[in-house]
Amino acid sequence: MAVTEDPGKPRNLAERVQRLQDRVYSAIFHNYVWQSIFRSGYPNTPRNQMLVVATNIFLHLHPTRIHRTHVKITHTYCLGGLTFFMFLILTVTGVLLMFYYVPSVDSAYQDIAALETNVKFGLLMRNMHRWTAHAMVILVFLHMMRVFYTGAYKPPREFNWVVGVILLVLTLVLSFTGYLLPWDQLALWAVTVGHGIGGSAPFFGDETQLIVFGGFEVGPSTLIRFYTLHVIALPIIAAVFMSVHFWRIRRDGGMARPL
Amino acid sequence: MAVETRAVARPAAKARPRPKREREEEVLVWPDLVFVEFIAAVLFTITFLMLSVFINAPLLNRANPELTPNPSKAPWYFLNLQELLLHMDKAWAGVLLPTIALGFFASIPYVDRSREAQGVWFGSKNAVRLTLVSAAYSVIMIAALVSFDAGDRTYAETLTRWIPSCNAEAQHQGTPCLQDAEGEAHTGLLSTKDISKRLEFSVPFPNFLGVDDGNLDWPRDLDRIPVPFNNICGNVGSFHLWCDMNLNIPSIMAEQVIPLSTVAGLALAIIYVLFRVGWLRTKRDLFIVMFTSVLVAYLALSMVGSFFRGEGQNLIWPWEIKVDEG
Repeated sequence: MAVTEDPGKPRNLAERVQRLQDRVYSAIFHNYVWQSIFRSGYPNTPRNQMLVVATNIFLHLHPTRIHRTHVKITHTYCLGGLTFFMFLILTVTGVLLMFYYVPSVDSAYQDIAALETNVKFGLLMRNMHRWTAHAMVILVFLHMMRVFYTGAYKPPREFNWVVGVILLVLTLVLSFTGYLLPWDQLALWAVTVGHGIGGSAPFFGDETQLIVFGGFEVGPSTLIRFYTLHVIALPIIAAVFMSVHFWRIRRDGGMARPL
Repeated sequence: MAVETRAVARPAAKARPRPKREREEEVLVWPDLVFVEFIAAVLFTITFLMLSVFINAPLLNRANPELTPNPSKAPWYFLNLQELLLHMDKAWAGVLLPTIALGFFASIPYVDRSREAQGVWFGSKNAVRLTLVSAAYSVIMIAALVSFDAGDRTYAETLTRWIPSCNAEAQHQGTPCLQDAEGEAHTGLLSTKDISKRLEFSVPFPNFLGVDDGNLDWPRDLDRIPVPFNNICGNVGSFHLWCDMNLNIPSIMAEQVIPLSTVAGLALAIIYVLFRVGWLRTKRDLFIVMFTSVLVAYLALSMVGSFFRGEGQNLIWPWEIKVDEG
């Protein structure tokens, strides 16, 4: 709606405030720089609200419109989204932890101990990383239960369920590889139990221990392998599968709904 | 012309309220969904920030390969596998059963191809009661089996105490008997593994296959049964060919056949009962029972491993757990 008429002078204080608000709003959202970043206008009209979702790389995971049953909390309890959110928190806190951590048997434990005492917010970051990692494992299972008990794996979403099972395994392996990194007694012996389990594989027991754990006991080569897997290889693989997972939700017609 | 004819032939539409069009049932993602997601993210951020302020992540002493903590435990999500290791062969517990479980999960949508009951919680007719019954059944059976395998601590051995005692030097016991250590009181089976260690019996058997006294004794005549071609030795690439490989039948029975057939039998039993009761009718119903049982068993075994296993992986109460750091 183009403004064609002259608004005239403000008649009272309320109108004066209104004018001021409009001018500030216009200065923030209608200037050249803002509009070079956000192509759509401020999302206060249905048209702009759809455009803002469609033209933003992060928001465009969503469709622009969604069936009203899907925005009810009890439909999904946000479990899948929260799992992904845990992954994001873990990425951020993990990168911060990497600044202070050297993955060698000599320094790993001291690095973590120093991180807790000498680094500002170091303990907080480590705690966040630890607790959100546990939360991610729990949320993955809860999400899987939600999908199963709402029958959301049924056609045409069969393959996305399989991708989900792969992501479950990746989450467990990510968590397990991270478990070793503090190189304390808890880490070493928990991974030693896993090492034994890996070695019990029929026919490939020795190969599993050599390839995955880097030896017949948990040692320096296990630490560097787990570190590399934990900070780069597995996150990238998980990100790829997550992309497929999210993409397929849209491709398979959005969330499951009664026929 | 044709169009007009069809239009005339079609019966008049009944007066009923116009069903809502798809578009009218939809809401805009911004703000209706993005807002919910944002609130969820903020709540979780605050929760975990608070949690991290008040509860510290554990950091024990520096790793020392010389010093084994007792008990040493895997992370909680693998503790169930560690728990299974106590009850059956390690290859089954650690690798094969988890692989089968994951394969089962992945195959669900390819077997249950019906499109009914999707998009709503427990959409099929008996879904809720099937879920509850199989969850309860799974917990009770796990508790019973774990108790059985810790016979001396749960008094489960009294169930098999009727099997007579025989001393360690006993030979050619016709009827089954349980060996007891010198000077110890007679006990029943302390765990399934006792079947290959303490149980003895024998049956008359002709004089061949290494049986030279006319009696086939359990376990001592059966623990070295040669497999075919067991004299082939050497390596092909990095793979070891077997060499002098013999089957230990008593241990295969105690650690593979009996545990696995118990699990399979219990699963088939609940499925059969629910089928006869009439609650289990479709593939979806079957999968509800199987999925719930597997998941609850996974959780229950983790709980047992976390809270009920103390020194030497003995079964104890949660408040009795002490970790010996070495």
